[in-house]
Amino acid sequence: MAMDIETIVKTAIANQKMIDVESISLMTSLQDLGVTSLDAITIVYEVEEICDIEVPNDELENLRTVQDIVTGVQSLLAKKVQV
Amino acid sequence: MTRDGNSRVVITGLGSVSALGLDTDRFWTAVKTGQSGIAPLQGFADAALKIKLGAQVKGFDAAAHFSSRDLPLLDRYSQFALMACREAIGQAGLEPAVLHDAAAVIGTGCGGKETDEITYAHLYKEQKSRAHPFTIPKGMPSAAASQVSMQLSIAGPVFTVSSACSSANHAIAQAALLIRAGVVEVAIAGGTDAPFTYGLLKAWEALRVVSTDNCRPFSADRSGLVLGEGAGMVVLESERHARRRGASILARLAGSGMTADAGHITDPSADGAARAIRAALKDAAIDAQSVEYVNAHGTGTLANDRTETEALHRVFGTHAKALMVSSTKAMHGHALGASGGLEFIATVLALREGIIPPTINFTGPGEGCDLDYVPNVARERKIRVAISNSFAFGGLNAVQVLQAI
Repeated sequence: MAMDIETIVKTAIANQKMIDVESISLMTSLQDLGVTSLDAITIVYEVEEICDIEVPNDELENLRTVQDIVTGVQSLLAKKVQV
Repeated sequence: MTRDGNSRVVITGLGSVSALGLDTDRFWTAVKTGQSGIAPLQGFADAALKIKLGAQVKGFDAAAHFSSRDLPLLDRYSQFALMACREAIGQAGLEPAVLHDAAAVIGTGCGGKETDEITYAHLYKEQKSRAHPFTIPKGMPSAAASQVSMQLSIAGPVFTVSSACSSANHAIAQAALLIRAGVVEVAIAGGTDAPFTYGLLKAWEALRVVSTDNCRPFSADRSGLVLGEGAGMVVLESERHARRRGASILARLAGSGMTADAGHITDPSADGAARAIRAALKDAAIDAQSVEYVNAHGTGTLANDRTETEALHRVFGTHAKALMVSSTKAMHGHALGASGGLEFIATVLALREGIIPPTINFTGPGEGCDLDYVPNVARERKIRVAISNSFAFGGLNAVQVLQAI
C-alpha cells in the first residue's frame, strides 16, 4: 500500500473535516475534532475503500481517538492477511 | 381558539398497504395482536447485502389490482398509493362529484426508485444507450400523486410532499390546512414508499443505522431500524361536510405542528422535536396533560429513541410518566415516507377501539428511555387524545394531535 495506515486515516479525517492534516495527531480525540456520527461513517467509508476492508458497525461505537481508528484498521488488515 | 364546523377537520376513511397486510383490517389485526411483518429479505442475492431483514409487502400481485393498460406506468410506490387511496375513499363513501373537487396530498420519501434504478442499470451496467421513455413519468417523485389524481378522478389541488420520514405527516398537515383555509372540503392524504431496491438498500447500509437482527425500539439492546414499504392514506374533511353527508366520523384531527431542527442532516434534536409537539398541541388548543397516548417515531436507532424520549420529557414534564408511548415500527418496519400514514391510522384506530398498540420486541429500557412503552402486549384503554410523531432526517418534524369523537 502506497500510504501507511496512519496517513490514510489522518487524510480521510482532514478531508472530511476540511482541516490541515498536520493538525491531527494520533492522540487527538474525535470529539475535539467535531466528528459527528455522519462524519465517522464517512471517514470509515473512505478508509474501507482504500484498504479494501469491512469495518463492522459495532466497532464504530468504540472509536474515541485517531489512534483507535488506526489500530482498528491495522487489526482488520492483519486478519485479512491471515485469510 | 374554537373552530367552527367548517374549519374542524375529521377523518372519515383509512387505507393501507404494509408488511402487515394489503388492507387496514389486516393491518390493525396485526398491530393490536403484536404481530411483526419483519422477515428475511426476499428478492436479493443473499451475499449481495448486509441488510438481511425487511418489512416487505407480501402476497401482492400488481396484475390482480391494476389493468395491463395502466400497469406499465405504475412504479411500485404508485401502486401502493393507489391501493391505499382506493380503500380510504371506499370507506369514506365519497361520491364522484365530491372526489372531483377534492385535494390529494401524497407524501413520499423516495419516489419511484425502482423505475430509476432499472434505467440506471440498463445504462451504466448493460451499457445501453437509451433510457425507457416511461422513466420520467413513472419514476418522478410526483408520479404517485398524478396517478391518484388520474385514476380516482381527483381534480382539485394535487401535489407531492417530500420530507423523508416525515413526508406523510407533513402531507396530512398540508391537506388539513387546505380544508381549514376553505380551499377544499375533502382531501386524501398520507404517504407511500417502496424502498426495497438494490441501490437504495446499499445506500441505507452505508448509513449504518439498519439493524441486522431486529427492530427493538426503546430497548437497551436496540440495534437500529428495519426498513419497510407500503402506503397509509386517510380521507380528511371538514366536520360540517362530513356531518351534512352523514359520513361515519372516525376521529378528529385536532391540530398539527411542524418545526425544523435547523441543525444536523442526520443527528436528531430534542429541541426541534419538542417544539413540534408543543406547536401541534397549541394548534389543537389541547392541554399537554390531556394527552394519553403517543404513537412515537420510535425507529429503534440509538439516537432517535433517546432523543424522542427526552423531547417527551421536555414537553410533558411530570405527565410524561403517565403517557403510554409505543412504536409500531417494530411491526410494520420503517416505511419511510409512508410510516407517518400507517402510524396515523394506528392512532385513529387506537382512539376508536380503545386498544393501545404495543412496542413489540421490547427487552428492557435503554439508557435515557424511561417511559411506559406499552411493552410487547397491546393494552385496552379508552382514550380521548393521542399524538403521532414523525421526526425525519434533516431535522424535519411533523406531529399530529388526534381526538376521539
